[in-house]
Amino acid sequence: MVTMTAAPGQQSDRELVERVAGGDRAAVRLLFMRHHARIYRFVARQTGSEMMADDVANEVFLELWRQAPAFQGRSEVSTWLLGIARFKALSALRKRKEVEIDEEAAAAVPDTADTPEVAVMKEDKAAALRGMVNALPEEHRTVVDLAYYHSKSVSEIAEILSIPVATVKTRMFYARKKLGEALQAAGFERGWP
Amino acid sequence: MSTDNNPAHNPEHLSRRDELEALLPFYLNGTLDGEDLAAVEDWLASDAQAMASLAEVEAEFSSTAAANQAIRPPADALSHFSRALDAEAGRARHTPSVLGRLWAGFMAIPATVAWAAATAAVVLVLVQAVMEPGGRGGPVEIAGTESANMPFVLVTFRPDARIADISAVLSGQNAVILSGPAAGGVYKIGIPAETAADYDRIVGLIAAQPFADTVMAGRKPANGG
Repeated sequence: MVTMTAAPGQQSDRELVERVAGGDRAAVRLLFMRHHARIYRFVARQTGSEMMADDVANEVFLELWRQAPAFQGRSEVSTWLLGIARFKALSALRKRKEVEIDEEAAAAVPDTADTPEVAVMKEDKAAALRGMVNALPEEHRTVVDLAYYHSKSVSEIAEILSIPVATVKTRMFYARKKLGEALQAAGFERGWP
Repeated sequence: MSTDNNPAHNPEHLSRRDELEALLPFYLNGTLDGEDLAAVEDWLASDAQAMASLAEVEAEFSSTAAANQAIRPPADALSHFSRALDAEAGRARHTPSVLGRLWAGFMAIPATVAWAAATAAVVLVLVQAVMEPGGRGGPVEIAGTESANMPFVLVTFRPDARIADISAVLSGQNAVILSGPAAGGVYKIGIPAETAADYDRIVGLIAAQPFADTVMAGRKPANGG
């Protein structure tokens, strides 16, 4: 999202949240432009539904509008928004009586990439790996997404998912192990495991 | 929220080597510090296998980014949200737009960068569209600049991208912004390349800039050269 700013006038996310707390709609729209795409994608991969992602992502930013006065700045704004998105995505899924995010939901995530099998036929390791990431169990894929795509730290992921730091490491370990095993099973060389 | 009930998933069951494998993605995304960072650096310096693992992490990084970027937010996301916001908040109060203030800040920058006229004009049009106070700025199409067969690349910029930096790089390569922002803040940038090699060079240069967030290859020159 383009926020072309001259350095002297640039405002941080936290400063914008302060303005939102004061009722400034332009500030919340600017935060929307900065973060919407990543929030939308996060929810789409959580729920397996782009329609649901559209609604939930909107709700996340409306929640930002409502909760800005309570934001204490203990975490990055993007981390705070992802935490809200996670909660709202799970709530939306429960409302639709889908009960739990599970591997079926993960498999339903829209993806224009080749399936792993097709990609293997093309001997395209990158495309195969992309399909394998999509096919990871949700709890593993979410940690992978947050680390690789959202550039979050171990402690930030723990905060977003409300899980212990050690569990983040464990899920990342098993996610990477599954990817390695899938690549090896597909005939690609792999350094680890 | 899902939980780890499998005893095998108990973090205490990870060996030190396993934990280092789990930390490698965080080394690559730049969020490691303290003892964890030192431990990973020591491992990378002392174990050839660690470098092989790092290469795998880089591949996983690229594939995960591609999988996420394949999901395209709707084109009308901002207007959709604005309607919901207005419904939530009621009639607008007149508050100074941050975009208006940023525009004023931009105008105050000394003209130390020699902008190519065409690119500067395009960027200025975009800035005016993006930064129009009142939130009415929207997607723009730069009439007359797009050739039907012109190679292009799709780019999103980082939130702290500076106009001067973008303009300097684009004008240096005779590249022009053709249109944008589309859904997800994507800009379409025309690449004046005659060959695929030229295209790759220019796109690689853009991708290497700190202001580039995501860079997606579009139409390449027909000439494979």
